[in-house]
Amino acid sequence: MAANNMGVEKVNYKNKLKDKDEDIYILALESSCDETAASVNKNGLEILSNVVSSQVDLHKKFGGVVPEIASRKHLELLLPVIDQALAEAGIEFKDLDAVASTYGPGLVGGLLVTLTAAKTVSLALNIPLIGVNHIAGHIYANFIANPEIEKPLICLTISGGHTDLLYFEDLRGYQILGRTIDDAAGEAFDKISRFLGLGYPGGPAIEKAALSGNKTAIYFPRADLGDSYDFSFSGLKTAVMNYVNNEEQRGNEIDQNDLAASFQEAVVDSLASNLIKAVQEYKVESVVISGGVAANQRLREVIAERLKEHNLELYYPPLELCTDNAAMIGAVAYYQYLERDFAPLSLSAEPSLKL
Amino acid sequence: MLILGIDTSTDILGLALMDSGQLKGEYNLSLKRQHSEKLLPLIEEIFELLGVEAGDLDGIAVAVGPGSFTGLRIGITTAKVLGRIFSIPVKGISTLEIMAAGAEGEYILPLLDARRKRVYYSFYQRNGNKDNNFLKEVKKAASAGISELPQILNEYQNQEISIIGEKTAEVRELLVENNFKTRIFEAEKNLPRAAVLARLGGDYICSGQADDIYQLKPAYLKIPQAEINWQQKYGSK
Ligand SMILES: [Zn+2]
Repeated sequence: MAANNMGVEKVNYKNKLKDKDEDIYILALESSCDETAASVNKNGLEILSNVVSSQVDLHKKFGGVVPEIASRKHLELLLPVIDQALAEAGIEFKDLDAVASTYGPGLVGGLLVTLTAAKTVSLALNIPLIGVNHIAGHIYANFIANPEIEKPLICLTISGGHTDLLYFEDLRGYQILGRTIDDAAGEAFDKISRFLGLGYPGGPAIEKAALSGNKTAIYFPRADLGDSYDFSFSGLKTAVMNYVNNEEQRGNEIDQNDLAASFQEAVVDSLASNLIKAVQEYKVESVVISGGVAANQRLREVIAERLKEHNLELYYPPLELCTDNAAMIGAVAYYQYLERDFAPLSLSAEPSLKL
Repeated sequence: MLILGIDTSTDILGLALMDSGQLKGEYNLSLKRQHSEKLLPLIEEIFELLGVEAGDLDGIAVAVGPGSFTGLRIGITTAKVLGRIFSIPVKGISTLEIMAAGAEGEYILPLLDARRKRVYYSFYQRNGNKDNNFLKEVKKAASAGISELPQILNEYQNQEISIIGEKTAEVRELLVENNFKTRIFEAEKNLPRAAVLARLGGDYICSGQADDIYQLKPAYLKIPQAEINWQQKYGSK
């Protein structure tokens, strides 16, 4: 895994560490936002149980997740979800080879609940503690859904918080080829949607408006970052705002739908172009797109179309794996286990952890 | 009977191992906001130093506040998971009671700073219980403005009151002005000590008063701000 958890490696665990030809059972925990989740997996992608207790209804009346309320609920649900995950897997604590928890990014008060629990399990049973990056979890959710996916592969992960282009030789680790140097793709959608008064979240709002617009009505410049695989969306955002201001000054009426479609086309084009460039360079077998923005139909259409000439399959996660769960954390943890990427008991929560 | 005491309710990280009434070791470290990073490594360390393994524990005592919600959840999570894995009893104890049980005197007023001239307090009588040796909570834990304390305690004006914890100098001055008899304590006695927590936990567990680990939670003396705002806007529920 790219990001290591630092610290002195402990060597005297209860059992000899296993290799990939032996069965490895991991208890994984997740509480970074408003789902309290626990799972048990065998050898990474085989999910023996995947318990998710959602608090969505609890936060609905506030119009968003309230951190203190979420943290209180995580503490309440912790033992019940762990019990259920172990029971459904038919496993007891003593059968576990390792314990994992998300340690970021997310809400610090929530993260600390399962992180502390995982540390306690590690200490009590003398088994390795594995700290998992939540974003990596969402990516590995794809591999749970498509275990036969061929490697090496390129993954484009795009959401309100990140835009990362990753290369996987196998599932034991990844290389970051490029990322956004300013706004994340989802953030750009949100900002423009708000600017146009189309509402939140911006992705679906823009996509809907774009459906009745002409995508070639206005040409917005794509960022040129030379040879790199990085992304940039702040120039595009400024271009859209300038366009609107200029048209208003001239007293011209603006077609919101044309504008949304043209903006969306520019974002999709930037994402797809970088992806195709990487696909050619790295000669991969498959391509995965994940994260909230991966739900955008126009993006899927353009990427699938351009991948055709390279004879490559495009994968995106099924909807149920887009929500937070612990199985995806356990999947990452398995590969970290094989790499002996263990965390010390001093591991702290990192609310703004990056890939 | 080996009891581990865990206190992460205040700036002090407290850990103690008490073996059948005998203190094996104790940490009381003023670590401020480092409880998450330090608690488990320190438990591992105290076990190693004292030749104890987690599986040797017979019970857990954990401070349940008042205090920092995040800090409390760290200690309580640890206690719950240890209790669950080893099927051992867990007892949650008020941070105010830990302070009071470590102080001397018949009437004891433990205090924690609640900011903006307010304190969390409760009021205990040492020999107030007929059938056991636990302190009697004469006034339930609550928060109050410091200036309200003379009124709250007015029926005890003729008793000597031991004041312990935070804001003690300020509260003592006010009570003395109002003709109360008071005493305060030296620094080493003026904190929630982990050894007291572990001892109390052992006593409670021995008398059959352990908690249900599934129900155990911090003493939240305050509902979340978002809930308060919502209720002000829409009325309760
Ligand atoms: Zn997520």
